[in-house]
Parts: sequence; C-alpha cells; structure tokens
Amino acid sequence: MTIDYQGEHLLPGHLGQFFIVLAFGSALFSTISYYFATTNTNKLDTSWLYMGRIGYFLNSISVIGIGACLFYIIYSNLFEYHYAWEHSSRTLPVYYIISSFWEGQEGSFWLWGFWQAVLGNILIWRAKSWEKPVLTVIALSQTLLASMLLGVEIFGSRIGSSPFILLRQAMDAPIFSRPEYLSYVKDGNGLNPLLQNYWMVIHPPTLFLGFASMIVPFAYAVAGLWQKRYKEWVQPAISYALFAVMVLGTGVIMGSLWAYESLNFGGYWAWDPVENAALIPWLTLIGAVHVMIVYKNTGHAYFTATFLTLISFVLVLYASFLTRSGILGETSVHAFTDLGMFWHLVVDVVIFAIIAATLLIIRFKELPISKKEEDTYSREFWMFVGSVFLALSCLQLVVVTSIPVWNAMFKTSIAPPSNPVTLYNVFQAGFAVVVTLLTGITQFLKYKKTDITRFFISTVLYLVFAAIITGVIVYLTGVYKLKFVFILVMLGAIYSILVNGKVLADAFKGKIKLAGSAVAHIGFGLIMVGALISAGTSNVVSQNTSGLDYGADFDKANNSRENLMLYKNVPIKMGDYTVTYVGDSISAPNHYFKVDYKLLDGNGNIKEEFILKPNSQYNNKMGLVSSPDTKHYLFHDLYTHISMAPLNVMQAGMDLGHDQETNDDANYNAPIAHDMKVGDTIQYRDGYIIMEKLNKDAHVQNIPITGNDVAVGADLKVVSHGITYQAEPVYMVKNGSVFDFARKIDDAGLKLRLTKIIPEQNKFEIMVYDQPEGKRPYIVMRAINFPFINFLWSGTVIMIIGFLLSIFRRNKELKTV
Amino acid sequence: MKKSSIFGIITIAVAIAIIICTYGSASTYGTFKDADNNSGELHIIGHIDKQKEMVYDATKDANYFSFYMRDTIGNERKVIYTGTKPEDFDRTDKIVLVGQMNKGAFHASHILMKCPSKYTQDKLDVKADTKKASI
Repeated sequence: MTIDYQGEHLLPGHLGQFFIVLAFGSALFSTISYYFATTNTNKLDTSWLYMGRIGYFLNSISVIGIGACLFYIIYSNLFEYHYAWEHSSRTLPVYYIISSFWEGQEGSFWLWGFWQAVLGNILIWRAKSWEKPVLTVIALSQTLLASMLLGVEIFGSRIGSSPFILLRQAMDAPIFSRPEYLSYVKDGNGLNPLLQNYWMVIHPPTLFLGFASMIVPFAYAVAGLWQKRYKEWVQPAISYALFAVMVLGTGVIMGSLWAYESLNFGGYWAWDPVENAALIPWLTLIGAVHVMIVYKNTGHAYFTATFLTLISFVLVLYASFLTRSGILGETSVHAFTDLGMFWHLVVDVVIFAIIAATLLIIRFKELPISKKEEDTYSREFWMFVGSVFLALSCLQLVVVTSIPVWNAMFKTSIAPPSNPVTLYNVFQAGFAVVVTLLTGITQFLKYKKTDITRFFISTVLYLVFAAIITGVIVYLTGVYKLKFVFILVMLGAIYSILVNGKVLADAFKGKIKLAGSAVAHIGFGLIMVGALISAGTSNVVSQNTSGLDYGADFDKANNSRENLMLYKNVPIKMGDYTVTYVGDSISAPNHYFKVDYKLLDGNGNIKEEFILKPNSQYNNKMGLVSSPDTKHYLFHDLYTHISMAPLNVMQAGMDLGHDQETNDDANYNAPIAHDMKVGDTIQYRDGYIIMEKLNKDAHVQNIPITGNDVAVGADLKVVSHGITYQAEPVYMVKNGSVFDFARKIDDAGLKLRLTKIIPEQNKFEIMVYDQPEGKRPYIVMRAINFPFINFLWSGTVIMIIGFLLSIFRRNKELKTV
Repeated sequence: MKKSSIFGIITIAVAIAIIICTYGSASTYGTFKDADNNSGELHIIGHIDKQKEMVYDATKDANYFSFYMRDTIGNERKVIYTGTKPEDFDRTDKIVLVGQMNKGAFHASHILMKCPSKYTQDKLDVKADTKKASI
C-alpha cells in the first residue's frame, strides 16, 4: 500500500541523493583512471589522466551539490527530512544552522569530503609529476568517504548513512500512516544547546580541514614508495604536513576553548576519547615532520619518517572509527552512536593500513636507509629521538583510549582507569619533559657534527638559567605542590622557550629563515607552561571547606565539597570575593543567573565589582543544560557555572512581572503580626522593616475609589542584607466591605499585608510573611580560578605563527618537479 | 653495541612499560557484590531505581546526592555522591558508577551518563504528537 503523503518536498532529497551516488561513482571512476594513468607505461597517452581529472572534478561538483541540498533542507526547515528534524529547529539563527549542518555524523563526513575535494583540486593544480599517484590515493579516500553517505541497501545490509533520509523512513511510528502526518511535525528537535556557541561554527571545519589534509603527506609517501621515488617525496610533503599539523592543532585548541566556554566540567581538557582521537594523529605527524626534515638535511631516519607519515593518516581513520562506530560505549560521553557503520569504518581503516603496510614491506629492501650511524652530538640524532618520544606518547594515548577495542577484540572486560586524568597527565608529562628539553638542546647541535665543548657549555648554561627561572615560577604559582614530573615539564618548557628565544633573536640578526621553528617551539613551550599552571594550580573558589588543597593530581572534580548554594540576595563570602545571586535575566531560551562579585579591601570598601551571568537553557531533548561564564583577567580567569537551580526559580523567572493574587500563603511561614506606628521599625529574620509614612491616597490598579471608599497604603521600607526595597500594602474599605492587598518582595522572600487599622492607638497591623528558606529562589554554583591560562591561548597563537613561517620557508626551498 | 640498537631497546622498554601500566591502572567492571568484597575502585554498570527515594536538597547540603541503583545482576545499593545532582539525571536510566563501597553504601566518585540527545530513541516526540492528533 502506498500512501500519498501531503506537503513533502521530495525534490531536494532526490537531488541530494543523486549527488551522493554521483560523488561515489565519480570518485571511484577517478581512482581507477588515476591508477591506470600512474601505471601506464606509455608516457604520451594522457587519456587516463584526463579521465581521472574529469572524475575528480565531477566528484567535487557533486560534493558541493550534496552540501547545497542539505543546507537548503535545513535552512528551509523541511522537517520531513530526518536530518533537519533531528538537528535543527525553526528558532535557530542562521549561524547556528551552519553548526547544525555538521552536528550529525553525515554532515561531518560531508565536511571532511568537502575539504578533501578542495585539497585534491589544489594538488591537481600544483602537484605536477606527483599528480597521478597522489590523486589515486586521494580519490580512493574520497570514494570511501562518499560511500559513508550512500545509505543504500546492498545484499540486505545498508551501506553508509544518507543525510537525505526522510523522517518517515528513519522511524517507525503510527503517525506515518497518515498522509497529512507532516502537519503534526511542527518543529525540529533543535541544536544541542551546548553546541550553540560560536566556536562550534568554526571548530568543526577547522578540525576536519586538519583531518582531511593529513592525507596529503600520506599520499606523497605512498606515491614515493609506489613510484620508487623514495627520496623525492619527502620534500614536497613537508609543507603539506606542516599545514596539516598547524590546522589540526588549531582545531583541537578551538575545541578546548569551546569546552572551556560552554561545558560544565570545569576546564578545557579532560582526556576524553574524543579529544584524544584528534590528538593521536597530531602527535605522530608532528614527529613525522621532524624526521622528514632530518631526512631532507642528512639522509638519516628515512624509515621513521616514512613510517610516521603513513601511520598518521591510518590513525586519523582509526580515530574516526573510535568516535563514530559506537565502540567507546560507556567510556565516552561525547562519542557518536553507532549508525550501523561499524564494519564499514573498520574496512576504511584496514584498506589504508594494508596499502601502507604492503608498500613498506615490498619496498623495504630498496629503501634509502642510511648504513651510517648518526653522530651522538648531531642534531639529527636527537631530533630523531624526540620524534620517537612523540610517537610513544601517542602510543600511550592509543593504548588507553582503545581499552573498549581491546575488550571487543579479546573478549575481556577491562574498565578504563578509574582516574584516567591522572594517568594521562603523569604519562604525557613524562614524554613532554623529554620532548621540550630536546626542542631546546637540539638548537645547540648542528647537523652531522657539533663542537662538543661549546655544546656542553651553552646547554648547561641555559639549563642552569632555566632552572633558576623555573624555581621562581614554580614557587610563586604553587606548582611545587604537584608531582615532581610536572616541575620537570616546567623546566623543559622554560628551557625550550629560553633557547628558542635565543635562536629567534639570532634570526632577527640575519638567519631569519630559522625563525619558524623557533617561534613554533616557543609557542609550544608557552602552551605547556600555561596548561601546567592553569590546570595544575586551578583552585575551586566555591569550596565549602576552607583552605586550599592542591590535590596531587589535576582531577579534583567531585572529590570535595565544591558547590556553594546562594539564596537570592543573600551575600556569601567566597574566597576573597563576596558573591550574591542578584537576579535573573531571560532571553529565551537562555536563562541567565546574575551573580554579583565584590572584592572588598580591608576597610570594607569595594575594590572591584562585576556581574557574571552563567546560564542554563531548558531543552526539550536534554533537559537543563548549563554553560559557564568567565571573568577574564590578564593573569587569571574566574570561571563560574551553575551546578543546579531549582526549577521553580526557572519558572519564577518566566512569570516575572506578573502579580498573582492567588492565595499562596502556603509558600510562607506562619505570619507574624506587628502593630506599628509611622516611624516604627520591626526586625525580621533577614533584616528590618521601617514604616515610613502613611499614604491616605493609595490606589490599587483597576479599582476606582468612590464616595465613602477608603484606601490606605503603608509605605514600608525593607532592608535585607544591605539591599533596600519599597512596598506598599493597601487596606481598603469599599462599599462597606474590607479588603487588603498584599505586596510581595520576591527577592527578599517577603509578603506584607496591612490587615487592620487601630484608630484609637493610631497604629496599624502589619502582617509579615516570611518565606522558608527552601521556597526561596536559590542557585548552586561552582567557581574555579584558572591562573595564567592566557599563556596557553597565546602560546597557541604563537605556535600557529611559527608553523606559518615554517610553511613559507619550506615552500621557498621547494622546486616542484 | 650500536647506539641505535640501544635506543631501540629503550623505545621498546618504554612501550612495554606503557602497556603494563595501562593494564595495571585499568579498573574493572563489577557488581555491587564485588564492591562489597573489594576495597579498590570499581566501575559498576546499572539502572537507576526510580521507585526509591532520590535525595538532593541544596538547601540542606548542596554537595550531597543519594539514590538507589540496581546493577546488572540485580543487586541494589544506596549510592552517595559528593556533589550536585547531575542535570540530566532524571532523563537517564542506565549509568556507570566509579567508586567504592563504604559502610553499606556505594560512594561514587564519578557518575557517567549518556548524553540523552544522542542516546534516547527519537520516537517519543512524535508519539506525543500522534496523541494530540487523534484527540
């Protein structure tokens, strides 16, 4: 039975699906053509090459077509498509529509494919004699990426997952038996509130450009081995590898900035498998870059350079398998679920791993591996050692992150370490010590042979100098309370900054072409310094117990009583600050909690005052989602987030400004009656109330006062925790009946009534309703101080500049044939 | 002995050390029964018992949260967590606890939950719509 569904827009989906199939077909065609173009012995026959190019161009156009169709679907709110329904909603602003585009796996595969298409076109234009073999590899990867989006059934199993699947195809629900079902699907699920952050607009494209560009050095290495141009591939690959490392590194840091700004775990790095997955290939490729340079300059370390280049891309694919296949299961909060592509992703890894391994094995005997040993006092030897250590640090990440994979493979049930953050920190710190020290020491070494005496003098001199500075920093910042290995990292990082600073100074005097590596190393050193101090000595300001307790490790979340409850308008002393939850501001769907911070000097004068607005957003799918707010200083950050807020506060915020005359006495303690004269003061729990004057001409809105009616208001001044409020409860006699109109001061948790006039004593009865604490608005928050975190961010920028300088330098050296 | 061989041996040694350390530091998945007999930290997978009381009252103590969880083989224990009640807790069913047993209650140092946006079946919303449609 077919149903004639109403209101569906099927054209963009059909068109998109057509482009997917075309993208797959053309990429496959391009791969085959380029393969035969490479293996063709007749140099004059260019037909295969042209077919390969046509295939690749067609693939690029199709990829753009897929993107255009998908964007149109999301932008036009066509919720008959599952992807639009799942990831977007009508209220989403345009710039977040872009984020929702790549929230799902299909969108991120598309992004990857898009960048690979761009890079492929650049290579067709620039790679000259390398085009045929290099593009064979890239087109093959493009074919596999397109296959991830196919979503067609072959032999009973679905290959890939298409973003153009309709809602009614993706789900089973009785509603889909109605032809007009679409009129009930009013809105999409919307974008995860945590992703509604500007970093999420640019972080995924940067990250995927990084992932995509990792294939270029890989393709060159494969081409070099395949075409037996063993020595030549290295030089052009260096620039591309530098580019990939720069972009991927930037993408990773952007991700951590996003985490710092919108997640609640209280930091910027948590060694989550998703983070590790991006770091793993970065570490091996940065190692590869160094040994490639060693090989180019000295002819040593050929095998290591080739191996690391090849393994880096295989690890990119492995990382994407980890995060996309659902294998991480319980160990990661952020990983994607299984879209039924487990084996598809495995095949992807295996294909490229086999290509790399086979070529290495077949060509092993012919590889230009130098027979001579490197000199102990040569730069190449220690750069090689450093690269191996980078690879080892990557190995540690792979081994630990892959625990669920080992479980699946060996049918074991090992749980991840119960304190993974400490484990990673200690291990990675160990590698960082070696790596940072080497980035310094190698600067004093020359390629081939170095004057030993001079080397030792300058190395030791700088080491002593660095040790003194480290001592001062470690003492001042409190890093000395951490494990010893972290102090060593600090020493290594400072040493690296000093030595490379000297190299940079020399560079300005003439050897300007050396500036790139020096700048990048300084940036890396600063990142280490910033990360060490900010993560190592971050302290929870909102701690309920007094005194600082720098744990032996960085993972302090939830170990101690870190959350502080604040009643509205009740100031609380928190560390050096006096904090007050002063109110809410709502800009749907965000609910901002205004937290006032005051810094007082010895005399009680305000030295500094600011308001932070951490927010919570209520999301249909996810419940309450909170994001922090941070006060940035030059040398530290004060980070504040809401751990919990009672829902009635959220609702109270929503009906702010509505006077409800319903009887809500139940929300208050039993009232206390006071007889007061004008000028009298009464005490209550949170402060005092003064009756300032009597208003004989009180008005209650909408109630006209006529003839014999009387309306009297008591002007009350309420002072609670240093804040003054005004209230005017009204007593009214109208047409012989008595009414009284209560006034509420929600912020002070008070309700006041003028219930009786006692003319003989000239007194008035004021009823004071005091809200019990539990009913009063409050928030629970956590505040963390991150010292010197700006070193981390500025180090990143400096490192990127260093990479850029290096790319320019290597490109200049390059005369592509 | 060649320098590169020495370095190769060091590299292999570090690699082996990594694997041993990983294995050594790895925790184990277990049940509440195992936790009763074991003083170390354990990972326990289970379901929240929503019938039993769940205590979180920020006005009394903002850093105390307790609830009951049933592990995969049906043992049920009280769980105590020093911290706030996680935001998505009510929407979650299956959780993983990391922690240890202390005086009859399981003291969790971490509660791992699945992000509900990605792990709940997305059929629910439309079903709600269906009901509205039929009225």
